[in-house]
Amino acid sequence: MSKFYRIAGISLASAVVGVFAANAQQLLTHKDLSVAVATTIAQTAIDTCKAQGYNVSAHVLGREGQVVVAVRNPAAGFATFENSMKKAYTARATRAPSGKFAETVKGNPNAAQFFLSNYVAAQGALPIMVGNDVIGAIGISGAPGGDKDEVCAKAGIDKVATALR
Amino acid sequence: MKKMVYLAGVVLMGSLAGTASAQLVAHKDLSVTTALTIATTAVQTCKAQGYNVSAHVLGRSGEVLVAMRGDDTGPQTYENSMKKAWTARAQRAPSVNFAKAVQANPTVGAIHLSNMVPAQGGLPIMVGEDAIGAVGISGAPGGDKDEACAKAGIDKVAADLK
Repeated sequence: MSKFYRIAGISLASAVVGVFAANAQQLLTHKDLSVAVATTIAQTAIDTCKAQGYNVSAHVLGREGQVVVAVRNPAAGFATFENSMKKAYTARATRAPSGKFAETVKGNPNAAQFFLSNYVAAQGALPIMVGNDVIGAIGISGAPGGDKDEVCAKAGIDKVATALR
Repeated sequence: MKKMVYLAGVVLMGSLAGTASAQLVAHKDLSVTTALTIATTAVQTCKAQGYNVSAHVLGRSGEVLVAMRGDDTGPQTYENSMKKAWTARAQRAPSVNFAKAVQANPTVGAIHLSNMVPAQGGLPIMVGEDAIGAVGISGAPGGDKDEACAKAGIDKVAADLK
């Protein structure tokens, strides 16, 4: 049985090497956010929150966590600009709503990622997906409650749903 | 004569202190809507001319109000658009003025500050004589073309800048 695993392991290793070899022959093909799509996401989210009476700041980050669009709302709280970035970063990094990371930290306050610079355990950000590929994230901060931030973030993504493919 | 200057100085200091403690400073500042319109208009104007550009709109204290990374632009355009805007805000003048100043005197003091860049493409956003912020554009083939897009952004909200 142990030999079987070892053989299986070797086959797997070969297969992995094969995959790397294949990769060496071609570049990666990515879809990425355009500034137009990113701006629409951010603007829609801000407008949606504004219509509900909430002034919010927004960040749309790209695949590598780089800022594609950043919007500081001078009518929102001072910390919202930073927080919207960190929420988006968290969503991008974990490929999941940042609220999920908040729950993780609630369950385990020593969760390792919690000690990285740009993670924040707060709801209000969503990953931007093309199929199963995370091409970025949007983070919102300023509404009275992360759930309300997240609703606006979702409105932003929904607005460009047809472009996300 | 020396004593008179000294006395005048004391009187001046006294009056300044009096004014400063008597009232706060009243400011007009950019709203998120106005700042977004400026940036979006500038980026779209350049796009329509075939240029992908990055944009920054900074506020009164040089703080970022809107930052946009242009499609297929190099990472330097993002930084440069910020610095052009910073330069325009700091000097309350188009960043091209600083470019000319540096051309005339390459060791001009301000060139050694972190965010000053001697490049055209940044314009101050004025309300009368007051610089309430600045917009910087980078990515077009030539600072004059960047500046034209920056101007389009400001022109779009001209009616609000009062």
